[in-house]
Amino acid sequence: MIDLRNIRKSYFVGDRELPILKGIDLSITKGEFVVFMGVSGSGKTTLMNIIGLLDKQTEGDYTFAGTSVDGLDDERLADMRNTYIGFVFQQFFLLPYLDAIENVLIPIVYSKKGIKHPRKKAKMLLGKFGLEQRIHNKPSQLSGGEQQRVAIARALVNDPEIILADEPTGALDSKTGGEIMDLFQMLNEEGKTIIVVTHDPKLATFGKRLVRIDDGAISEDITT
Amino acid sequence: MALFQKISQLREFIEEVVKILYYYRGRVIFSFSGVALGILSICIIITTIDGANKKAQEIFEALGPDSIMVFGGGERQRAARIRTSSIKTGDADLIARVEGIYDIMKIYSARNVMMRYKDRNWQTQAVGSTTNYFESFSWGFQAGTVFTEDEYDRAEAVCIIGAKVYEELFRGENAIGKTIVVGKLPTTVIGVLEERGGSVGGPHVDDRVIMPLTTVTSRIVNEKRYLSAVRVKTHRDLDRTIEDIRHVLRASHGLTGNLDDDFTIRSSKDILAFVTVISGSLLLFLGTASIVALVVSGFVLANLFYLTIQERKKDIGIRRAYGATRKGILLSFLFESILITFIGGVAGILLSVILGSTFEKLFDIPMMFSFKVVFFALLFSFLTGVLSGLRPALKASRIEPIEAIRG
Repeated sequence: MIDLRNIRKSYFVGDRELPILKGIDLSITKGEFVVFMGVSGSGKTTLMNIIGLLDKQTEGDYTFAGTSVDGLDDERLADMRNTYIGFVFQQFFLLPYLDAIENVLIPIVYSKKGIKHPRKKAKMLLGKFGLEQRIHNKPSQLSGGEQQRVAIARALVNDPEIILADEPTGALDSKTGGEIMDLFQMLNEEGKTIIVVTHDPKLATFGKRLVRIDDGAISEDITT
Repeated sequence: MALFQKISQLREFIEEVVKILYYYRGRVIFSFSGVALGILSICIIITTIDGANKKAQEIFEALGPDSIMVFGGGERQRAARIRTSSIKTGDADLIARVEGIYDIMKIYSARNVMMRYKDRNWQTQAVGSTTNYFESFSWGFQAGTVFTEDEYDRAEAVCIIGAKVYEELFRGENAIGKTIVVGKLPTTVIGVLEERGGSVGGPHVDDRVIMPLTTVTSRIVNEKRYLSAVRVKTHRDLDRTIEDIRHVLRASHGLTGNLDDDFTIRSSKDILAFVTVISGSLLLFLGTASIVALVVSGFVLANLFYLTIQERKKDIGIRRAYGATRKGILLSFLFESILITFIGGVAGILLSVILGSTFEKLFDIPMMFSFKVVFFALLFSFLTGVLSGLRPALKASRIEPIEAIRG
């Protein structure tokens, strides 16, 4: 599914090179639940952005779903993100002018898959996450945990292969955060590939595989 | 369009844009009203000009497209508002003999004559003319009829009064057969003219009393030598006839070489030209005003839009992450701005319909609504939307998803 070969990423400040990722080799197969653990500044978010086709590596090869993504243009990348990946972010990023179900439907607007009855499906997902009473609420009328569950429903509505979550519990209290992680586990059991990026050691136990990132390199890769 | 696979997606997209506009309604309302005002003035310009042209056409038809007026006094005196009598009674006979002329009407206008009926007074002009006056102006009667050749020849004290004079002196009473005093001459009213309305750079057309020319020149004023004007109709080319009349009159008045004409010849073509000049200046003035309004509202729209983009960075980032292409973002922002100006345009058109009738009454300018108005109004609002939305939309489309999501 995901195959990273010697991935390097540097930012340039004037003529000074700031290496963020210093040669990452990593393979993730379908159905895995991987937790990337690292302190802030370790490069874990950059790695996730590259995996999520939001950013490009400076060096190295990245094969995603059997396609080398290096030379792809904006349109093709947007299409691949839409088809294969569901994103979940720390700050939820729900659009304030849309209600819960409309937020869930955002990926459908750009989808080429032809999902049948998207509205029904969005409703079903929200119901599954205990939000059937909240379907027509605006994000401002929802709690943090509810917002994040709407965001996860949005990540799932277009049937992606992978869920990429960047600090999904970062803005939540530990109890609500735990519920969100349980939800990921449930989705993983249903066959989704889950990748969670976090600095919170408490989340390490939720995944099936723990990848520790230190200073732009993988320092540990344990499958439990 | 490859952007949307299905109609339902397009619907979803449009619904979203409408919600965005509602969410940002505070700033949307500014640009919206600016565009509405700009479009309003464009509509008023077009309808007014069309109305003026139609009115000119009506005047043209009423005067007769084949008519020519000859006045005393050259262009310069006329411009200085000096009335000079220079058309002699004999000139009318000379003009009548010009090739192609089939109708000739002689006019002598006595200004500021006091009309009295019972205790009511009304000062207006007494127009002396020939029996063909009414037919020649295609002017109908509310009551009564025209004076006869006999009455003309005997210079009888009979008159036909305009609708305005009728209103002032009789106020709805029957006027036929009644006697009014014109100057010092008791005169029998034998006809009341239909109301025609409006004026063409002179006194109100309905404000006049028409009498046989002979009566005016012998019994109201003592003027046997000159006429105020001669009006003729021709079935020849207007310009050629005018040239011939000019030739005849110059010879009769002994004007040779570089001497200026001491008379003025006008045809219905000149009236059209006059209205064209008026609508031209109207276009220039109102046109500038409306373009300024549109440009200003365009700038307001562009700037407000530009500001919101910073605020909507995350919105853009999330859409890009979920599969929106640069082009998709560009188009949705452009669509937003076009929608604002388009709705503004529609509001402007509606406003102009409402204000148009008020305007019509206030300034006595006829207005004509047409598809042309709607077409131009929508075209201009569309262009404003595209021009002011383009730069912000380009900026939005260049935002990278990671920078948007990061912060």
